[in-house]
Amino acid sequence: MAPFAPLRVTARLVLTTIKRIAGMPDYEAYLDHLRRRHPERPLPSEREFYDEFVRARYSDGPTRCC
Amino acid sequence: MHLRSLLWLVAGLAGAAGWGVLALHRGETINAAWLVLAAVGTYLVAFRFYSRFLAERVFGLDDRRATPAERLANGRDFVPTSRWVLFGHHFAAIAGAGPLVGPVLAAQFGYLPGTLWIVFGVVLAGAVQDFVILFGSMRRDGKSLGQMAKEETGPITGLLAMVAVLAIMIILLAVLALVVVNALKDSPWGVFTILCTIPIAILMGFWMKIWRPGRTLEASLAGVLLLLLALVGGRYVAESAVLAPYFTYSGLTIAYGIIAYGFIASVMPVWMLLCPRDYLSTFMKIGTILLLALGILIVLPPLRMPAVTQFVDGTGPVFAGKLFPFAFITIACGAISGFHALVASGTTPKMLVRESDARYIGYGGMLMESFVAIMALCAAALLDPGIYFAINAPLATLGGSAEAAAEVIRGWGFTVTPAQLTSLAADVGEKTLLGRAGGAPSLAVGMAVILSGAFGQGLMALWYHFAIMFEALFILTTVDTGTRVGRFMLQELAGQLWTPLGRTSWYPSTILASAAVVAGWGYFLVQGVTDPLGGINSLWPLFGISNQLLASVALCVGTTLLIKGGKARYAWVTLAPLVWVLAVTLTAGWQKVFADDPRLGFLSHAALTARQIASGAMDPARGARLIFNDRLDAVVALAFMLVTLLVVLASAREWILVLTRRRPAVAKESPFVETAYAG
Repeated sequence: MAPFAPLRVTARLVLTTIKRIAGMPDYEAYLDHLRRRHPERPLPSEREFYDEFVRARYSDGPTRCC
Repeated sequence: MHLRSLLWLVAGLAGAAGWGVLALHRGETINAAWLVLAAVGTYLVAFRFYSRFLAERVFGLDDRRATPAERLANGRDFVPTSRWVLFGHHFAAIAGAGPLVGPVLAAQFGYLPGTLWIVFGVVLAGAVQDFVILFGSMRRDGKSLGQMAKEETGPITGLLAMVAVLAIMIILLAVLALVVVNALKDSPWGVFTILCTIPIAILMGFWMKIWRPGRTLEASLAGVLLLLLALVGGRYVAESAVLAPYFTYSGLTIAYGIIAYGFIASVMPVWMLLCPRDYLSTFMKIGTILLLALGILIVLPPLRMPAVTQFVDGTGPVFAGKLFPFAFITIACGAISGFHALVASGTTPKMLVRESDARYIGYGGMLMESFVAIMALCAAALLDPGIYFAINAPLATLGGSAEAAAEVIRGWGFTVTPAQLTSLAADVGEKTLLGRAGGAPSLAVGMAVILSGAFGQGLMALWYHFAIMFEALFILTTVDTGTRVGRFMLQELAGQLWTPLGRTSWYPSTILASAAVVAGWGYFLVQGVTDPLGGINSLWPLFGISNQLLASVALCVGTTLLIKGGKARYAWVTLAPLVWVLAVTLTAGWQKVFADDPRLGFLSHAALTARQIASGAMDPARGARLIFNDRLDAVVALAFMLVTLLVVLASAREWILVLTRRRPAVAKESPFVETAYAG
């Protein structure tokens, strides 16, 4: 699979970019963050992460404009 | 170095050439290219010089200082994000229906006044406001506008800012919902497409939550495809004699439908409806704006609207009032929008990698929004003026038929034949386009002309309904997110009276607060739909006034941040726009309440209605309702003005205390931490 590695990195970058722009949760990025900064904590499942993200995003303040 | 200076010189000269052509070509049609050139040239020069001055001298952005995204990184909302991606994110959050609708309505003055205000307003006021609030919030761990107002000028100002935001939200939701009603009434195609967005969103919600948790992109892709399918399907519904009646509704029915929808969406779990709709409308919005920009560049349409029309004297049919102050409040979002201060102190400041990025996002993002407003203005101004006024003037002014409307419009000095009006309606797949006030339908016609010119003739009807769907989709998304945000704010305020009411997870409180918010905007919506003059007439100025007054609050907070941060000698960068916006908005507010012309002033309209009741020309029950609404609108306008003046006075007191050294000039910024990022 090695020859495709750069392609996968690019694909991941494109998907992350689209998610960030649309304000979507990015599970992979969160796992990276946890592994780097808090290796002692258990990793949440994708479903747990998604639920928490959506709850936090819409629980205060406007996220968009008129 | 020399090459770059040369490029900036070229940008400056291009802008100057654009303005030159705009200034010299009077009384002839002019190509939209010149308008775009003037705008973009000005943006580039302003960005290069003015925003750099703000960033380096006024705010003192410092790339050695760690941003909240770095210090507080949590992988969720505090996420260091590259400046280009964040630009997209921020732009998607600030762009909405406002910059599209306002310029279309203001086109009744001609294309020139709107263009001037959109371009120079953004450069000197709107972009400065967004930038200063983003800067302030970035230095305070991403605090909101209300929290900053509270910390820097005191709890009363904070509370007033919160009340102001809530009140603006109510008016905003009412007027945007009214735009949708006017676009969808008696339009089975439009109603079918928009109704389809609800099951599509719910399907996406289950996809992302239950079936394939977290797979937001694939669900959104499926959602967009289904949406396009619904758009095509709408044509068959509209053409079918059996199905069409099921989707044909009066304005009032649609209004009650939207009210019910707003309530249900506010109390339903977020993942089921609100979140998927949010994604869907974000993608549609970015896609459509790119498409429109491309279309305008390919077609380069000539503008048929005169540079300045006779309606600058205040007799215009779309809305009442003279050029000053009403051009400046009708175009709110494209030039300066107080609402942006909420976004600039929301998610964006938590994602900046380095301080200097705030210049690209805060100032640059707003320039982009202004460009959207310019495109909307082009789309309205490329229509024949006769067609433009036939769509945007109230039905009561035009008379019921195409013949009567053509006659009325001829009286204003614009030629249009009844045949033109009926064939245009047929081209876009509607029975009639007369009296569809609110900006969305005429923008959709303009967009359909551009897009079918660029990407396929003969698809006029499909493009028209594509544009209507796109506008209605994200307006309704604003309605449900806005209702929810309004509900949270109301619960927070109510919680200060009785604690249980403040618990957002307590169901009775949720139901009660949602109902209160929906009833608030629903009342104004129904008032607008039943208003003989079409409602946009009274509600859009009210919205413009409230949005600009929120901008005043934001500029006050910005000025306080500068003065307390020891930059008092540069405080004019926010004070000058503050003075202008206050002058415009308070004049407009005063005229809306007290003007003698019953078309303009709420109180004189109430007096006129009272005379009509007395003379028997008006049904007393209906008249009493109109009078009540006029007085309510007057009270709302006065309340906005009062709240803003209180914030201005409280802020001015603070400035004077600091400047006369009776209070220390200490801004409550988070302490300096050196960044760990290299370079």
